Amino acid sequence: MTGARRDSCDVAVIGAGMAGMATALFAAERGLSCIQVGNPGGILFASGLLDLFGVHPVAERRLWRSPYAAIAALAREQSDHPLARIDASSIRTAFEIFVAALGAAGLRYAPLGDRNRSVLTSIGTIKTTFGVPLSMVAGVDALEARPPCLLVDFRGLREFNARQIAESLGHRWPDLRHRRIEFPGTEAAPELYAAHLARALESRQTRERTIALVKPLLGDALAVGFPAVLGLARASEVHAAFEAGLEMPVFEIPTMPTSVPGLRLLGALETAVSARGVRRRHQASVRALAFDREAGTAALDVEGVPGVERVVARAVVLATGRFTGRGLTADRGQVRESILGIPVLQPASREAWHQRDFLDPSGHAVNRAGLAIDDAWRPLDADGKPVWPRLFAVGSILAHQDWMRSKCGSGLAISTAWAAMEQVARQLRGTGAG
Amino acid sequence: MKYALFLGCKIPSALPAYEASSRAVLAHFGVTLVDLEFNCCGYPARNFNRYAFAAAAARNLALAERAGLDILTPCMCCFGTLRHAIRFLGEDAELRSRVSEALAAEGYAWSGKTEVEHLLTVLARKIGVDSLAAAVRSPRTGLRVAAQYGCHALRPGNVTRFDNPMAPTMFETLIRAAGATPVDWPRRLDCCGDPLHQANTPLSGRMTRAKIADALESGAEVICTACPHCHLRFDAVQAGSSDASIRTLLYTQLLGLAMGLPADFLGL
Amino acid sequence: MSPALFQTALYASLALCSLGLVWRVSAWFRVRIGPDARTVALSQRVAALLRGGALALFSRRVFQLAGAVFLDLLLQRRLFANEKLRWLGHLLILTGFTLLLLMHALAAIVTAKLFQGYQPTLDPYLFLRNLSGAMVITGVGLLLFGRWRRQTGLPQARRPMDMAFVALLGFVLVSGFLLEAHKIASPRAFYRMSDQFIGSTDAGRLTPLRAVWASEFGVAFDDLKLPIDPRLLEQGRELHRSACASCHTKPVSAFVSYPMARVLAPVTDLLDTGRADAWLLYLHVFACFLGLAVLPFTLMFHLVAVPISLLVNAAAPNRDFSLAGRASRRALALDACVRCGICDLHCSVAPLARYLGNLGLLPAHKLQATAALAGGRLLGCEDVALRAADGAFLCTDCGRCTAHCPVGLDLEDLWEAGRGDLAAAGLPSPAQWVQAHPALAWAESLERGPAEHVDSGPDDLLAPLSADRRSFSRCVQCQTCTNVCPVVAHSMDSNHGIDLTPQKVMNLLRLGLRDLTLGSRMVWDCATCYQCQENCPAGVRVADIMCELRALGVRRLGAVRSLRESS
Ligand SMILES: Cc1cc2nc3c(=O)[nH]c(=O)nc-3n(C[C@H](O)[C@H](O)[C@H](O)COP(=O)(O)OP(=O)(O)OC[C@H]3O[C@@H](n4cnc5c(N)ncnc54)[C@H](O)[C@@H]3O)c2cc1C
Ligand code: SF4
Ligand code: SF4
Ligand code: SF4
Ligand code: SF4
Repeated sequence: MTGARRDSCDVAVIGAGMAGMATALFAAERGLSCIQVGNPGGILFASGLLDLFGVHPVAERRLWRSPYAAIAALAREQSDHPLARIDASSIRTAFEIFVAALGAAGLRYAPLGDRNRSVLTSIGTIKTTFGVPLSMVAGVDALEARPPCLLVDFRGLREFNARQIAESLGHRWPDLRHRRIEFPGTEAAPELYAAHLARALESRQTRERTIALVKPLLGDALAVGFPAVLGLARASEVHAAFEAGLEMPVFEIPTMPTSVPGLRLLGALETAVSARGVRRRHQASVRALAFDREAGTAALDVEGVPGVERVVARAVVLATGRFTGRGLTADRGQVRESILGIPVLQPASREAWHQRDFLDPSGHAVNRAGLAIDDAWRPLDADGKPVWPRLFAVGSILAHQDWMRSKCGSGLAISTAWAAMEQVARQLRGTGAG
Repeated sequence: MKYALFLGCKIPSALPAYEASSRAVLAHFGVTLVDLEFNCCGYPARNFNRYAFAAAAARNLALAERAGLDILTPCMCCFGTLRHAIRFLGEDAELRSRVSEALAAEGYAWSGKTEVEHLLTVLARKIGVDSLAAAVRSPRTGLRVAAQYGCHALRPGNVTRFDNPMAPTMFETLIRAAGATPVDWPRRLDCCGDPLHQANTPLSGRMTRAKIADALESGAEVICTACPHCHLRFDAVQAGSSDASIRTLLYTQLLGLAMGLPADFLGL
Repeated sequence: MSPALFQTALYASLALCSLGLVWRVSAWFRVRIGPDARTVALSQRVAALLRGGALALFSRRVFQLAGAVFLDLLLQRRLFANEKLRWLGHLLILTGFTLLLLMHALAAIVTAKLFQGYQPTLDPYLFLRNLSGAMVITGVGLLLFGRWRRQTGLPQARRPMDMAFVALLGFVLVSGFLLEAHKIASPRAFYRMSDQFIGSTDAGRLTPLRAVWASEFGVAFDDLKLPIDPRLLEQGRELHRSACASCHTKPVSAFVSYPMARVLAPVTDLLDTGRADAWLLYLHVFACFLGLAVLPFTLMFHLVAVPISLLVNAAAPNRDFSLAGRASRRALALDACVRCGICDLHCSVAPLARYLGNLGLLPAHKLQATAALAGGRLLGCEDVALRAADGAFLCTDCGRCTAHCPVGLDLEDLWEAGRGDLAAAGLPSPAQWVQAHPALAWAESLERGPAEHVDSGPDDLLAPLSADRRSFSRCVQCQTCTNVCPVVAHSMDSNHGIDLTPQKVMNLLRLGLRDLTLGSRMVWDCATCYQCQENCPAGVRVADIMCELRALGVRRLGAVRSLRESS
């Protein structure tokens, strides 16, 4: 028991953010055995909207209708950006597979198409994104056509304020109205949380009571918007039931993170990888990583309970994110990769981390810090050689990108995971089995 | 296969059918069960005194170790508690030394050799789903079954190592092995409410009823349990209510029926 | 001893005993244990007993009753199943005591009537009396040895009265044997008898007889030298046959008192002069009377309570008692418990009792506390009461005590009732007494409480995570724990609600305000479902910390509890 446990696999994925989950998913789809270590990362903060690539150049805050056109432009101007290394058809395939897996796990997306879409946010701004959950699509259409529309919110749900949204859009969308209702059965509760409402709505009774409360308020509205609380595990059914009950398009608006769509995404991804046999290590982290160059394997020390588990893998993918994911750490003015200390491309000194103006639209140099990689998605050591022939890196830990400002978080995660996994499979074939 | 059977406090006094059906099913697969006089797993002391909790749990582990056996328990709370104790003893040297002292005073020692298994982990991983399926004579075809996972076995996954704590599949696989159809129900991973029964009965009742309603709404005919606490909580809440009710069945009963074991062997 | 004195003493002690019995038996209908017992009247309880008894006697259960009498009562099969040694000891005492009672104490009304020519100094009576006495002494010895050998390190429950009674019993037996031994050896007794049956006390004339009694009956004449001339003996035997033999067999069969007589021989003269026969008789008889008088208030009352308890069990084998029946049964249990401590040996939480240093967890001790609470004696002693309360709610209701109790008591029912009484007396489970006040009020008490009360030891062993900043400082206040918490979810539809969320609890820890969390509803209503901990993106062990906060709360709030509750 206190002795070390052992396990082995083809691919070990370090990280369980969007990039890590996509990697594990793609590995399993390719029939590779996979062990994945990590806590729910940035996924919980996600809105369920899958950005691909929206803003370029960052300094001009220029929005693009077509993400693929934007990526093509990027490739011309900034060829070291990770997305610039991947061809459009690979990105398409990656997204299709990713979204299909989510759909099979109960989280359905609208057909992807080729275009970015505009979505309402919970603070009344408009966000450019690519993949939109089915439950939010009617909002995209409504935002375009701006018909008479009702936004509903719930007393006590501080995460979402319909009046604020309606007011900030009022000048552009005069027929956008808002009403506040009492969520059934919560009359005495001072404060509500979206996730609990979402689960409550999975009960038919609560659902029907809510619909009955909204129906008389519809007026001339041709669409109704709700905070994203329409179900959690049963989101599609709940959304469909609302549309049927209210007899018009119903859409969700993501609430402030952490939100229900984040939990849905987490649940669907965990279900997807679990169903494909990925061995997950939750609430655990990789403490050390060593390579046996002769045997051609890597050994991961997974901080487990109790003691340490030794995982032996033929390939390793680093998907540990940046600072919030703890893939990078800042240490006395130096940014380091936290497991192996792989060199990180970064501004020369701490002073150069940020622009003088913190809100400078072109972003900060430190937000583009990360790992340099070769063509096969392998991080490079100080001499510019791969750290190990089968160590790969994906997601936000990569250098030369500012996913927050480019609006490409998920796109980066999914596309790099796909591209890297192609290389992983090729490399493993090269070593014989696999 | 040989294990020390850890029944815990609830099964002998309140759910003897679980013991009977577990013994019947395990015997069929050649599992030998040894009865040791264990003490309380330690769970009630967890909210009271961490040292006493860990020492009580460690005493059980030491008893099994002295007999040279691993522990098999049909109770998810006992399972989780013993696994937790192993974690705490593993990470806290001061606790470990105080517990060792207490054990030594009685002539016991625990060196960490004892493994703790739940009945379901033994069925699914040690015996194997294929062997289970091969033993099925009268599959429960068409029976729609909601699997009640049970918090204390499932979470935290790094401590219990029961199954993927976010998206487990083991129980459904076991239900399929008995020929029945597992039902997907949104509240399958929720707490049954039992731990709060003493401290806050109304709240506990709401939690239990929410699960029952969800199972019914999801089309289940039976809630299948593998923990005396969950099982008895469902039964107790339904006994005192006029709401629609659902049958509860222990997994060992479900499997036993499918294997064609006589109902009275299974406490039915 | 004057017959008048004897009679007076006998009747007095019999009267006391009867009064005592009536009082003690009436307690089975008077004493109320459990909140539900308060709702039934005395008359209902008596009626329940009569009804139950009648039903049992006039149904097929009567065979079960007979079986119970035989197996449980006479053969003590429950005890046999538990501890063979004790069973043997108990059987020895029971048989020895019964024989002594019938054959010796009640000789005049029982044995003499049944067996013609009964004389206490004849065999087999002489031998049997010794045997019975020896059985009782051996039995007591075995029981004491059994207690000693068990050596669990946990003291056994006992009442001072019981120990005193065991001493008294020992005294009766020893004084009885001494008396008999002295009578065997006493020349004085010899002369009294010769006077009565031969009409002479002349030593010279009686020499042949004295020779026989000295050599064969152990009388310690100081003027006769052994060995004795066989012709003299022959002469003496003649006289013995005609005058004594019909009432005396050789006392060697008195295998306890005869050797004692030999030992006493050198001091017999002295004892004779001091009229030892008289005062030993007084001591022996009055010790018996004393025992009789106090019997209902000692361990020996189990002679009454246990059979009845076993019969009641047999009468309703499925334990389907009415509330009135249960109420009486609980009171009866307090008397039927013999403090054997077998339940303690098998109690699931006995190790916890050891680790917590609280005997109040052990069933035999709990039973005593239940009796004390019912008798209004518990609450006077705050410390004991608090320990009893811990014992009450740490019990897991595993039923092992009930399964093993040789007397067949339904202890789980008693525990359940006792918890109710403790709660009614202001000693509920921690979850309840803590939640009786809001978290803020507790925090205030902690602030005002005397430092030595509040900080009575290092927190680290009880609550290492909540004492270590590193375990919660990485919390990013993302609210995930709150979002997945079923307790928060199911508090939406209640006006009780919760005061904090898991996220806010973590935030208070980050702000160094741990005392504010200790009495919070959220902490005490947490179901330990571990959703929060499993889902936390920052790896904070939220649920583990919740458990710790409760353990810490029990101790820290417990220290200022009296302050809080008196305010
Ligand atoms: C506030 C916020 C809002 C967001 N909104 C959106 C949105 O609207 N649309 C969108 O598409 N995306 C959104 N995202 C998500 C975004 O797509 C991803 O967070 C981003 O792509 C980074 O993903 P990642 O997997 O590379 O890293 P992270 O998500 O940071 O994950 C890092 C992972 O690595 C693990 N890890 C780190 N070190 C170790 C170790 N030593 N051992 C084991 N595991 C380790 C961590 O536990 C974690 O699982 C948002 C994220 C945040 C934080
Ligand atoms: S029911 Fe309570 S007192 Fe009796 S053995 Fe079990 S834990 Fe001990
Ligand atoms: S309750 Fe029963 S087992 Fe316990 S001390 Fe009393 S008689 Fe013995
Ligand atoms: S989930 Fe974790 S990080 Fe988020 S608020 Fe709770 S404890 Fe803090
Ligand atoms: S362990 Fe407690 S605090 Fe955490 S989610 Fe469950 S009930 Fe809530």
